[in-house]
Amino acid sequence: MSATQHYVLLLGIALGTVGVVLSLYCLARSLGLTQKEPGKDVPASSGVLSRDPVWGRYHARYYGYALLFLAFDMEMAFMYPWAVVYKEVGLVALLDMGVFLAILFLGLLYGWSQGALRRQ
Amino acid sequence: MTVAIVLLALLGGAWLLAVIEGWVTTGRLRPGAPMLSGLAYLGRESIVPRSPDRVFFEAAPVLLLVVAVLGAAVLPLAPDLIIADLGTGALFVNAALAYVLVALIMAGWGPDGAYAMIGGWRFLGQLIAYSMLIVMPITAVAMRAESLVNTAIVGSQTSLWNIVYQPLGFVLFIIAAMALAFRSPFDLPTAEGELAGGVDAEYTGVRLAVLRLARLMLVVTLASAATVFYLGGWHGPLLPPWAWSLIKTLAVAVLMLLAGRYLPRIREADLMRWCWTLGIPLALLNIIIVGVLILVVP
Repeated sequence: MSATQHYVLLLGIALGTVGVVLSLYCLARSLGLTQKEPGKDVPASSGVLSRDPVWGRYHARYYGYALLFLAFDMEMAFMYPWAVVYKEVGLVALLDMGVFLAILFLGLLYGWSQGALRRQ
Repeated sequence: MTVAIVLLALLGGAWLLAVIEGWVTTGRLRPGAPMLSGLAYLGRESIVPRSPDRVFFEAAPVLLLVVAVLGAAVLPLAPDLIIADLGTGALFVNAALAYVLVALIMAGWGPDGAYAMIGGWRFLGQLIAYSMLIVMPITAVAMRAESLVNTAIVGSQTSLWNIVYQPLGFVLFIIAAMALAFRSPFDLPTAEGELAGGVDAEYTGVRLAVLRLARLMLVVTLASAATVFYLGGWHGPLLPPWAWSLIKTLAVAVLMLLAGRYLPRIREADLMRWCWTLGIPLALLNIIIVGVLILVVP
């Protein structure tokens, strides 16, 4: 099979899964409807509505990690193609990526020394 | 045909896991229990909270299930028993599993409940902790196989399984996989004791049934990925290839379940600290060790 056919097949499986779930929902609905009763639809918060709006802004206390994560995530975009040709290119590939990783790792150490690796 | 077999194997794996989980929890072996509780969920009311983001609320369980199924679709059970042997199979597994985060944040945001929302955002922090430990070990696997094709990755382990070649990567991958499947001790987004179920809290009835099925399938998919990447996939003596794949996948899944039973839930701050100060240096070391091994030992 060609790559296009593979992706069409995967799309079909995804849609099929959605279809199965929808038919399950229909089956459950055919067995009976949800009764409307007061207080039933309050979200689980000890029976009372939460005092503050839930869809607010939260402090991302891990922002130090998050910034480092961006750098490492970008690095992974280079790592996959590098990994595939690694054996073919040999020692040069190891040195190339070694220097790159060393710089990145120094960045991690620097962030660590500056207190980025803790919950703020 | 292949599609049907693989999907049935995935469903069967989820069923077996549910039976085993019930067995170790209650001490009774009840093969019919997962089906019965599934049917019971169908009969129960499926309540929608009072001011939901309806799209997110409905999409989350379905998305989690689709992600688990798509991940399993690119992993081989036997040389020809694979739904789609993509050229970028290992990367596709990664990409599919990244949507677990999206599904959980949707499940947290959708119902407009405080506990659910905290659970959803918690998982965002958890992703920042575990995700490097998923991708970096896979890179080391791809280096040895010289390919991202999953069948080629299994083929590269004919003489020596990756668990022996790069044991460090295996350990890191299993821990990260447990965090990705939010199994205990990494069940921060659902945390029964402190968040009243977290992202699960607002789901009832048939929606909860789909969500729980998706969680089980996620474990099976991750165990299957560990088998393909580290345990030599279908390789093994005497038994047919598919049987070896199933045995290994089940063994890894049970290992993931049991390991969590004896560990207390980890705090998010600790999880991130350990992953970044210990996990990522070890993952980089693993890449360098594998790199040197590939060059030195032909």
